[in-house]
Amino acid sequence: MRVDVGAVSDFEDRRLRIVIAANHQVGVLRWRDRFYALHNRCPHQSGPVCLGIVSGRLSSEKPGSMEVDEETPVIACPWHGWEFELERGRALWDPSYAVKVVPVRVESDRVVLEVGKSAI
Amino acid sequence: MYSGPVIDCDVHHARSTDAELIPYLSRGWREYVTDRGPAGNVPLTVQDGFPNPHGFMRADTYPKGGGEPGSDYPTMRDQLLAASDVRRAILTFGDDSHLAGHHNPYFAAELARAANDWSVDRWLSQDPRLFSSIMVGSQLPDVAAEEIRRHAANPRMVQAMLVDNPFNRGFGHPVFHPIYAAAEETGRPVAIHGGAGGWANPPSTGGGSVSTYFETHVLWPQAIQTHLVSFIAHGVFEKYPRLRIVLIEGGSAWIPSLLWRFDAEYKGLRREVPWLKRLPSEYFADHVWVTTQPLEVAPRKENVVELLRSMKLEDHLVYSSDYPHWDADEIEYLTARLPSEWHRRVFFGNACRLYDWKEEDIEHAGAVVEQTR
Repeated sequence: MRVDVGAVSDFEDRRLRIVIAANHQVGVLRWRDRFYALHNRCPHQSGPVCLGIVSGRLSSEKPGSMEVDEETPVIACPWHGWEFELERGRALWDPSYAVKVVPVRVESDRVVLEVGKSAI
Repeated sequence: MYSGPVIDCDVHHARSTDAELIPYLSRGWREYVTDRGPAGNVPLTVQDGFPNPHGFMRADTYPKGGGEPGSDYPTMRDQLLAASDVRRAILTFGDDSHLAGHHNPYFAAELARAANDWSVDRWLSQDPRLFSSIMVGSQLPDVAAEEIRRHAANPRMVQAMLVDNPFNRGFGHPVFHPIYAAAEETGRPVAIHGGAGGWANPPSTGGGSVSTYFETHVLWPQAIQTHLVSFIAHGVFEKYPRLRIVLIEGGSAWIPSLLWRFDAEYKGLRREVPWLKRLPSEYFADHVWVTTQPLEVAPRKENVVELLRSMKLEDHLVYSSDYPHWDADEIEYLTARLPSEWHRRVFFGNACRLYDWKEEDIEHAGAVVEQTR
């Protein structure tokens, strides 16, 4: 189902908004010029994952170093801190474990979800 | 009883007196420790520790001619090597294993050097089945690394061994990394023996000190657990990807529950250690071996086996007797406690992988007994 959730300008950069789309809670994130969307349900204990903090992915080339990958937004579930990348919803420690993502695109400056067509 | 080839990964060879080790000290250190008049010599052994009410040794291991258990090669040969098909035994020292408990780091480094030379000279020369640990004074990690490299050309000096903990930091802490760089460079595993964490200082127990040997022995695995978690969390196996470690005398049935917890915690706390690229249990699978003694005793032996199997520990366990200590495990006893399909791996094959030995080279070499009698 195609759901229009607002104008691009309604979404603040790096701030995830939870919208109701076809009776689903969906978190929508604008990250620079890209949009991401995922169901507000953590696969771990069904926590409200979209209430978590979004940041660039922390990475490290060697023990003791700490870098941030600004091209890869991740969200940490507020219940247990499990982190998932927004692109495909995959857990950072196991790509086979994922939050359901929702296809999202921009059409004529409108943000549009395809609810019911989860990528997972 | 299992009758195939055996590699025993924890055999304590000891010296009966300080006088045995003193000739291996440098001239200056010999002068430092000896002839102090009525005060006697400076003791070479760390003096702290909990007394075992039975003593620490199996009563039947005292050599007939006198001296301490583990100090007499013929006694060890007859009681341990000849009693089953022991093809190789890894020597792990006696009192000198605690030299990293010395307050004086320079003295400890010298004792490590001397103890290793004593081991080569007095033990490895007697029997080709004997292989030795390399003791290191971990108080000075750079010096310890050089000591490991000093033995690089001797294939019978097979592992660097850590026991006491001079810095009260888990052994994964970067202060210890020069030791691991040298171990990886020379292809030697790092052995962490029970008692790591401090024979007395710092305490080898979490939460606080205990009062009796009984307590400390029950809690022996705690320090090993600290070091295992520390190794993985600090990314030691990312930094030294060819490094192998063996946990000696810390038990094994706790490993599944610790790794389950470790993996679960990693999922929520990865942000703190982004240098880890895999689950903690995956690092364990590729880098860690564990000695059998003391095998946990459950009301039903199947309880322990099921736990061990849950983390595939049949591929990580290496047999250890702990001879001549009071809590040694016999091959016959372990044969009955472990599934028969595990026996060859646990008594022989897993140790070959740990020490990068070819099974066929050892198996077809034939037992060496007569020439040493």
